[in-house]
Amino acid sequence: MSILKAVINAFRKTPDTVKYPYGPLVIPKGFRGAIVIDTEKCSGCGLCVRDCPAAGLELIKESRQDYQLIHYPARCAYCGQCEDSCARGAISHSNDLVEPTYDSDEWVVVLKHQSGD
Amino acid sequence: MNKISIPIGPQHPLLKEPLTMNIDISGERVLGGTLRLGYVHRGIERLAQQKTYVQNVHLIERICGICSHVHTTTFCHAVETLLGIDVPIRAQYIRALMCELERVHSHLLWLGIIAKHVGLDTIFMHTWHDRELALDIMEEVSGGRVSHAANQIGGVRFDLSQEQEAMIRKTVNDLSDKANTLMDVIENEPVLQARTKGVAPLSAETIKNYCVVGPVARASGVDVDMRRDHPPPPYDRLTFNVITRQDGDAWARTVVRAEETRETLKLCHTILDEMPDGPVSVRAPRKVPEGEVVVRSEAPRGELLYYLRSDGSENPARLKVRTPTLPALNLIPKQLSAIHVADIPVVMAGVDLCIACADR
Repeated sequence: MSILKAVINAFRKTPDTVKYPYGPLVIPKGFRGAIVIDTEKCSGCGLCVRDCPAAGLELIKESRQDYQLIHYPARCAYCGQCEDSCARGAISHSNDLVEPTYDSDEWVVVLKHQSGD
Repeated sequence: MNKISIPIGPQHPLLKEPLTMNIDISGERVLGGTLRLGYVHRGIERLAQQKTYVQNVHLIERICGICSHVHTTTFCHAVETLLGIDVPIRAQYIRALMCELERVHSHLLWLGIIAKHVGLDTIFMHTWHDRELALDIMEEVSGGRVSHAANQIGGVRFDLSQEQEAMIRKTVNDLSDKANTLMDVIENEPVLQARTKGVAPLSAETIKNYCVVGPVARASGVDVDMRRDHPPPPYDRLTFNVITRQDGDAWARTVVRAEETRETLKLCHTILDEMPDGPVSVRAPRKVPEGEVVVRSEAPRGELLYYLRSDGSENPARLKVRTPTLPALNLIPKQLSAIHVADIPVVMAGVDLCIACADR
């Protein structure tokens, strides 16, 4: 009898699937999406690079005033460790979905480019 | 009748993960079989020695796609024991809540698989739908559906708001109703009983000889559960029933997991009721003092054991993981005798395969 009840209920309710990309997509508040950076707050200390478990971040540092913080989205594990490690709250995950790519090796995002000039 | 050897896997619709079986049959009777593992060996234990403790939390999470949280909880507990730091009680409860939700979704997933293998697609679809509710809770609170990244050394990374607690209570109530209905359906389903009762029974002695743990052992009358026998915090403060059956056949394994789902949902309520307020993490040093520790916990498939040795640096000197699935896999060749060919999927699914856990 229980299964009969379930069958009747199945006729009443709407489908559980989301009509992506035409319907609204509800993303949870804490979703770990694309990496974003507040360039004002970032000091190029490299704490995020040190703790990244997937080598998804790289800091090319010429001097204190001349450095580049690079993100490799295809290597990134989207674990949120960089956000945890950053003492200034500069790097974080946004709620945006990460776009797919055909060429993961060439996918490089320069998060901050601080020039010494 | 001639003996025929059928190779199954490593890629096969019966298998969700790669594994090779060579099954000897004669007509409809199965004579025996052998297993070959190692297709998803990733060298995680060796890799862990090259990464820091902070990085290892995320590496360990990727051992398994179903019980990822209990792996990190056990690893963090091992590191915290060596560090000698007390994790805030609220963090312990949040960890336990996530572990129990993981158990719910793992058991519902398994119930769906066994139903699918015996031809009950309706139960498969209902259990997998219900499993999504447990995953929704975990996604809502942690941000990740499979890799929750909930743990850090010293506590958890997020706190539960009052709205989230209310949402969890409501969803757990819904799930309890659905689990009751499911149990009712399973107990009165003649097809499921006909396909699983008396299939590949395992005695308590065999279970002990093969060192098998978890629901497979409990279905054969071996009363073992790390949450009660060697409780990691906060299980020493929680009360719950350990479900056992005596028959040891595929039916007993099904009933144990279905009953355990209901019991786990009750435990989720207990955890939420007893969860105190307070901080959810403490600051942990990066370097771990020299020493070694063994930590055990109860994953959805049984006892999970972590051995960790530190030489005082930022990286572990040795990490050994004993997952519950490897001994259970050893049972498959033993079970692959005196059964019919149609029972092979039931035997395979019965031990709740997790090749990723076993191979690491």
